[in-house]
Amino acid sequence: MDSSNDEALDIIVTNVVATFRTRCHLNLRTIALEGTNVIYKPEVGKVLMKLRKPMITASIWSSGKIICTGATSEDESKLGARRLARSLQKLGFKVRFSDYKVVNVLAVCSMPFAVHLIDFTKNNRPIASYEPELHPAATYRIKNLKATVQVFSTGSLTVTGPNVQNVATAVEQVYPLLFECQKPLCN
Amino acid sequence: MTSRLCRTCGGSDIDLDPARGSAVCTGCGAVLEDNIIVSEVQFVEGSGGVSAAVGQFVSSDGPVKAPLLGSGFHTSTGKESRALTLQNGKRQIHHLGSQLQLNQHCLDTAFNFFKMVVSKHLTRGRKMAHIIAACLYLVCRTEGTPHMLLDLSDLLQVNVYILGKTFLLLARELCINAPAIDPCLYIPRFAHMLEFGEKTHEVSMTALRLLQRMKRDWMHTGRRPSGLCGAALLVAARMHEFRRTVKDVIGVVKVCQATLRKRLTEFEDTPTSQLTIDEFMRVDLEQECDPPSFTAGQHKAKMQQLEQELARKLDDVEGEISCYRDEIETELENSRPKLRGIYAAYAKIGLSVCLSDEALSSTSDPAELEAEDAELQAAAQHLTQDFLCQVIQEEEGKKPEGTSEQQEEAGQAEEAEPQQQAAPLTFILGKLPSAASLGLQQTFHAFQEAAAEQEADGPADSGELDLDGIDDQEIDKYILSEREVQSKTVLWTKQNQEYLREQKEKEERITKEKEQGTYKEKTKKSSKKREPIQASTAGEAIEKMLEQKRISSKINYDVLRDLNSRGGSAGNSPTRSTPDPPAGRKRLTRRKKTSNKTNQGLAGHRARPPAQTQGEKPHHYETTSLPTTSL
Repeated sequence: MDSSNDEALDIIVTNVVATFRTRCHLNLRTIALEGTNVIYKPEVGKVLMKLRKPMITASIWSSGKIICTGATSEDESKLGARRLARSLQKLGFKVRFSDYKVVNVLAVCSMPFAVHLIDFTKNNRPIASYEPELHPAATYRIKNLKATVQVFSTGSLTVTGPNVQNVATAVEQVYPLLFECQKPLCN
Repeated sequence: MTSRLCRTCGGSDIDLDPARGSAVCTGCGAVLEDNIIVSEVQFVEGSGGVSAAVGQFVSSDGPVKAPLLGSGFHTSTGKESRALTLQNGKRQIHHLGSQLQLNQHCLDTAFNFFKMVVSKHLTRGRKMAHIIAACLYLVCRTEGTPHMLLDLSDLLQVNVYILGKTFLLLARELCINAPAIDPCLYIPRFAHMLEFGEKTHEVSMTALRLLQRMKRDWMHTGRRPSGLCGAALLVAARMHEFRRTVKDVIGVVKVCQATLRKRLTEFEDTPTSQLTIDEFMRVDLEQECDPPSFTAGQHKAKMQQLEQELARKLDDVEGEISCYRDEIETELENSRPKLRGIYAAYAKIGLSVCLSDEALSSTSDPAELEAEDAELQAAAQHLTQDFLCQVIQEEEGKKPEGTSEQQEEAGQAEEAEPQQQAAPLTFILGKLPSAASLGLQQTFHAFQEAAAEQEADGPADSGELDLDGIDDQEIDKYILSEREVQSKTVLWTKQNQEYLREQKEKEERITKEKEQGTYKEKTKKSSKKREPIQASTAGEAIEKMLEQKRISSKINYDVLRDLNSRGGSAGNSPTRSTPDPPAGRKRLTRRKKTSNKTNQGLAGHRARPPAQTQGEKPHHYETTSLPTTSL
């Protein structure tokens, strides 16, 4: 699926963030007292609940909104969210699982070559930006995909986007641009 | 005042009267000019004999307003908000820019950027100081001055990343492509600060050469330019026999010691570092290097590969060992007497204990299991050692009986190397139960996971919870039992005592206030819901809205209303306290035109009384309301 015919790039999804609503008010104190693996943060007003099976951390607000982070794939995220809702149900709340939405997906990928960041930024002027004083990577924002690609000089990429498909497309879009500005290896 | 020829008579005798500003020909009396523009400063005498110059200060930007009453150009006299903002910004830019020693041209450019920013409403929600700093830094980048964002953040005492964020945003919105920072720009500045005296120029040149080399060796991508400069300057100084320590350099360059050391080590790794000073000045190596982080990554990959190979070799070796082990075991089996006595029972119990433990503790912590394993291992070792000794003794006892060579060999082998084998055997045999237990545990895990992963994605948005594949038992483990809840409650209340106390106090306070009747709901900013305005024309709607929303306390609305009934006039800018007479309407409308032009950009939350054309009939305003004015 790449423009390079020989190798396939491994895009590894490292984090998936999703939100859903339980449509009912949750008593945070009950959750804090009766659940295992919970951290209650009264000053912010939320409870952090960590699941082991899909390794997931969920922030639970009393309004019933829940943000679920730490999953490594979209399916895993959904499973973890449902598991969480089930455990809340068991605690006695009238939980309904609604408005599940994956909000952000973070993936890493590595090019087999190093990239000359200054040339890359010059060629893609308004879309790419590079400030060595602030961050060692060049940032390439793709507007129509709503994805951001951070390119490091070693050739490794960090991609964030609203879903896995966008992330894959972003990598494909960026690959030819990076290929032009690659640094030929000496050894 | 050019003397020229009269048009009518051709005479050159022309009388100029500066007071009236007229030029008259004395020959024929023809008036040649009226109202000559003169550039003189005139003085008038004020009260008490004080002479004052005639004229007023007019700002070069902003609207040209009517002559101000009173003296001075204080900001409180009726300028619009936009002009005030720009003036304020200009002052701050000059103040900050002079601290950075920027020249006037740069400051003007920065002010132009600022004007663009304000007109695009990018100042909303951002501190003025940040915006000013970002504008100045934009100028620095486009002009190529050696100022770092760090300098600005030092002056303002603001986090450099916050400034960076603002700067990036402005650059993107204004579509200004700031050229990339070249570390060579900073060299003269830092060299000057390091005080090399006469040889500053030479040292700078050397440092520049070093930097070029570093660039070619790919050390500069993704790094702060100041760090590279520091390293280059340090080496250059040493090359010219100046003793500058790392501390001096980092004080000037503003990086930390670790960074500088790292850059120096990276440079050391390049082949250029092997050259002598003279060679370096003369020769330029052709070869380029890979970026250091890339080489580090490759190094790591290589190490991993090596480890894998080693592991594989170990596996091979283990395979051989296990072969030997199997052979030995078979030999032992053949030569082993049947298990009798208490040792038999021990051996069997040992194994069964292991197995039952696994069944119970399949999901317990691996730490616990390891502890158990250790105990088991120790027990097993102990048992097998005893067992082996016994076997060996029995073997020895059996020797005279046994006639087969195998047995002898086995016996001899065992005798000859009881010590050697005892250790590996106990090790191997001792390990057996624990290895087995681990293996079983792994299969348990795999089984559970498999069970969990068999799910279909249920219907999405019904709101009902799809229970497929969700293991209730496992989830039950997430919920504590009654007793646990109680103990946790105790612990939790103890830990969060302060917070609970605060909450209680707050509630008491609220109830008290409620009783007293002074309770104020402070929670939500209740947006006042006004009824929708019913009006027939736009003008009417606006009047009604203005009525509801009193803009300024300084306007005498009654008077304005009266004025309105007399046929429309100035609802001028609200800071005017006295309404202007209708006679001056023409002048007012003109003035308002200019003022409104400047206010066009303002999406003002202050509703300005919008305009009406001059010719509109006044009877629209029968309803008492604020007059409207022409746009």
